Amino acid sequence: MSWGLDPAWSRRVSIDGSDGRPVDWHVLDTGPGPAGTIVCVHGNPSWGYVWRDLLATLAPQWRVIAIDQTGMGWSERGRPRRLADRVAELAAFCRQEVTGPLVLAAHDWGGPVAVGASGLLEVEALILANTAVAKPDDVAVPPLIAAARSLVDLSCRQTPAFVGGTARMTDKVHRDALRAPYRSADRREAVRDFVADIPVMESDPSYATLQECAAVLDHLQRPTLLLWGGRDPVFHDRFLADLRRRAPHADIERFPDAAHLVTLDAPVGAVVARWLDGLNGLNALGTSATPVAAAAGFESVLASLATRTEDTSAAYDGPDGVLSWADLDARSSVAARALHDAGFRPGSRVSLLVPPSCDLLVAAAAVWKVGGIPVVADASAGLRPLRRLVRASAPSWTIGTPAILALARTLRFAPGSRSACFSSFPGSVRLDRAGGSRTPFTPVAATATDVAAIVHTSGATGPAKAVRYTHGALAAQRDVVGPLFHMEPGDAFTTSFGPFMLLAPSLQMTCVRPDFDVSEPAALGFDELAAALGKARVTVAWLSPASARRIIDTARGRTAPIDLVMLAGAPIPADMVEDVRRITGGDVRAPYGMTECLPVTDGCEPDRIGRLGGNSTGRPVPGSTIVITQLGDPSSPLVPEDGWGEILVHAPWMFDGYDAAWSADADTWARHDGLRFHRTGDVGYIEDELLIHLGRLRHVIEAADGPLASVAVEGPVRSAVGCTVAAVGVGPAGHQVLCIVVQGEGSLRVADHEMATMVRGACPHRVAAVLQGTLPVDRRHQSKIDRTALGLEAAHFLAGR
Amino acid sequence: MKVLVTGGSSLLGRTVAQQLASRGDQVTCFQRSPSGTGTTDVLGDIRDPVAVLQAAAGHDAIVHLAALVAPRPSWEAAYGINVLGTRNVVTAAARCGRLLHVSSPSVAFDGHASVGAGVEPARYQGRDAYTRTKAIAEQYVLEHSVAATVVIRPHLVWGPGDTQLVGRIVERARQGRLVLPDHGRALVDTTYVDDAAAAIVAGLDRTGESTEALGRAWVVTGDDPRPLAELVSGILGAAGLDVAVRSVPAPVVGLAGRIVGRLWPGEEPPLTYFAARQLSVAHWFDQSDTQRVLRWQPEVSVERGIEELKEWFARS
Repeated sequence: MSWGLDPAWSRRVSIDGSDGRPVDWHVLDTGPGPAGTIVCVHGNPSWGYVWRDLLATLAPQWRVIAIDQTGMGWSERGRPRRLADRVAELAAFCRQEVTGPLVLAAHDWGGPVAVGASGLLEVEALILANTAVAKPDDVAVPPLIAAARSLVDLSCRQTPAFVGGTARMTDKVHRDALRAPYRSADRREAVRDFVADIPVMESDPSYATLQECAAVLDHLQRPTLLLWGGRDPVFHDRFLADLRRRAPHADIERFPDAAHLVTLDAPVGAVVARWLDGLNGLNALGTSATPVAAAAGFESVLASLATRTEDTSAAYDGPDGVLSWADLDARSSVAARALHDAGFRPGSRVSLLVPPSCDLLVAAAAVWKVGGIPVVADASAGLRPLRRLVRASAPSWTIGTPAILALARTLRFAPGSRSACFSSFPGSVRLDRAGGSRTPFTPVAATATDVAAIVHTSGATGPAKAVRYTHGALAAQRDVVGPLFHMEPGDAFTTSFGPFMLLAPSLQMTCVRPDFDVSEPAALGFDELAAALGKARVTVAWLSPASARRIIDTARGRTAPIDLVMLAGAPIPADMVEDVRRITGGDVRAPYGMTECLPVTDGCEPDRIGRLGGNSTGRPVPGSTIVITQLGDPSSPLVPEDGWGEILVHAPWMFDGYDAAWSADADTWARHDGLRFHRTGDVGYIEDELLIHLGRLRHVIEAADGPLASVAVEGPVRSAVGCTVAAVGVGPAGHQVLCIVVQGEGSLRVADHEMATMVRGACPHRVAAVLQGTLPVDRRHQSKIDRTALGLEAAHFLAGR
Repeated sequence: MKVLVTGGSSLLGRTVAQQLASRGDQVTCFQRSPSGTGTTDVLGDIRDPVAVLQAAAGHDAIVHLAALVAPRPSWEAAYGINVLGTRNVVTAAARCGRLLHVSSPSVAFDGHASVGAGVEPARYQGRDAYTRTKAIAEQYVLEHSVAATVVIRPHLVWGPGDTQLVGRIVERARQGRLVLPDHGRALVDTTYVDDAAAAIVAGLDRTGESTEALGRAWVVTGDDPRPLAELVSGILGAAGLDVAVRSVPAPVVGLAGRIVGRLWPGEEPPLTYFAARQLSVAHWFDQSDTQRVLRWQPEVSVERGIEELKEWFARS
């Protein structure tokens, strides 16, 4: 036996069997560690091997013991066990072998065993991986388990079908190790018994025990970490949702690309080590929610709606129709009633797969009224990323158009979720009919700390992250945005950002949706904008740089008056500001903000360039705080004279955390003056109280004589050559040389002498190479240059071949 | 300080001798023909141990630059000058007490890109007579020199009067035979001759004081890497040549190098595999450690160097 396991870990131990006789167990034991002991419990059919990464990573700080349950792995055979027996034996083992702090870790059907034992032992913390303690009410028995059960002896004992099938769920390198203890039928008896023991109906012998285990988890006030493989066909995300409901305090680390055997597929050891360190106070920040400033006098976004139930003016005006405030209230009440009558449980997540339209506004309001959490995924990301996002959010419900619901069902966007629709679709709840009840629906009251919505980062420059907002934060955002940007109730706004249309009810403004394909940000041109302006008194427009560019290109000397235009989503060049100002005759601003916190600054003086380069994003919005820190060290704040650094923000309206991404969440928070700050991943500096943005931290060029901010380098070069340029670093970090790529056609080439001279003349830093070629831009905004990709491309080019 | 410079008639040797002399050192140049530096010349063959010993007598230090540099020299010639010559110098330096040995980054060139490399790669890679004999010589110095010894590997030295890099490029361009692999996209460090000489002088001074500098080889560059195409067009511009540079895919150049290098009868084939690879891939170096230890910094940017070259072409 080796398989990457230290032979010294392997030992045998005799424990008190549940039948009163000693039973011989095989365990992998790393030996004493000062921090405590982690006892790891495998599922079926596997053995202690699945904890390989944890064993290797956490020792010698921790003692890690991965047991082989009775009849499993290399432990004693021939003694049938039920769930209750396994719980008792695990508890007996821990009492006998463990002194000091105990952490239990469990995978698959080891989960109920460990949770059950937690009720009998003093545990410091619990770590669960792709498991369940109960079948969620609305989920069918996993088909694989159902199939295994119906032919249990054939599939699990007589043939290695179940063992082999499980082993095939992970990388080839693990297969031999996973199959090894189960080579013959007589060695697989416990595999069969384990499957047969899974309780599905109340008449099953272990049904009550499983319910007891579930009850333990419901009441276990212990730090809990859920490790989750997102591609598990057995324990899919609905099971994760069930665990999250039972242990709302649990931290979740979801690995989207890992499957059932998550502890083998993903680097779980590093995450667990860091998480346990945090419990020991080394990283005490945690993810606990910050008190929301608006808690006193909190008025939810829904409450604003309730004041306009008689108002027949438009809340939304788009190509699909007009929705009045009264209609919005009435239709959302009908939909909420329909959801409620169908058994909707408050706190459930609802994936809104409805394009920006009347129906989207109605659906969002209905979900809030019924106490649900809308999950807003931006379809412009593309089908595959959209599926990934929806799956990760584990919605209990999906609301969509028939076409999208059909697609979502076929592609298993949300396994086990129920669907609802504004028209007839097989197997889905109709949201346009209230059923029998005619009484108006009383909205479920929300508190400031309740989760209000899940939205997603663009994923323009990395994997998209799910961002959690509370009702308190949304209310605070409403309270600050309106006055700041003079968005007065009664006026109208328009936007090129699909999700922004959901702000209409909250701002009490009419949203005019221009007639364009929202999944194509560059599709909004001057004609579409002008048509939208004709529908209502549009005073404010939020535009992406891509749409602003297209509006400029298609204006042909015409004008479209708008009081205030906000350009957001990417750094805004000065000539764009000037052009938009000319076309709209209004105030043009480029406020700083991100999915996690919007807005951060007021966007004033967008054409002012700071002393270290970069454009102004305006002053911090009253109530928000900005801290600039040293690069890579969010705990060391800089004063304005120190120059540029990482941008950290705090605002009452910022997000609550990343969903199901404990590590990303732990990475993002820093504490200053008792406040929780979000590390934006951007760099910049403060000058005359204005925040000057210098691009992404990831794009900082790590040159031998110090870091260079890409935007600061690009500014003067861009002005000199008169077109878009990108600065990237080439070479090993800390010794990179500067390479400037000038926008051109086709693949990269060395720029001619004239261009190189012009670039070098304008750039205050030493430039190793001046190249020309197409600059890669992100799909969603079509305006953010993907400098990471460009840097790799330039490095590859300049390395020669 | 009394310094013996071997190989004083080369561009770099001459510059080193002049820099030493101008700061007040007493310089003797040892080579086969007069150096033209205005310092004392001792003529002789580096392969002659007695001649080297006699020339070194009474000096405090030796700067050893004498070497046979050719695309494909015969093994005997290269071994005699590069290896035996170096042994003679090491023996003589034992009496002087200080030695600065000039090696070449090509001893470690493996045909692959070096991107931001530190003092690595240190492994000897040479395959042809020149790089192998230079590698043997460097290894010999590092292992056997009892004098306080610093080894410098100046990277692609060029400047006015340079017959190697500048001379060959200009000659080929005039003949209409200048071809660059992949349009000359590889990022390449070079060293202006004055900077290379100053690094050698700095290295010589460190033999007396810095233990950190001893016992290893330091790659020295101008710390201003450029795509090869840009260097070539700069040099051609300085020479007043307006010629189109042809491009050939790098793998084709490499293959041609292999074939020509093997089949060419003479000592100077127009292309070898080694040269093809050097033109096809990046080689630039992280100089922070080198500059700190040698307490030296390059002062001539590529642009300044091109200007100097232009003036020189105009004069000659």
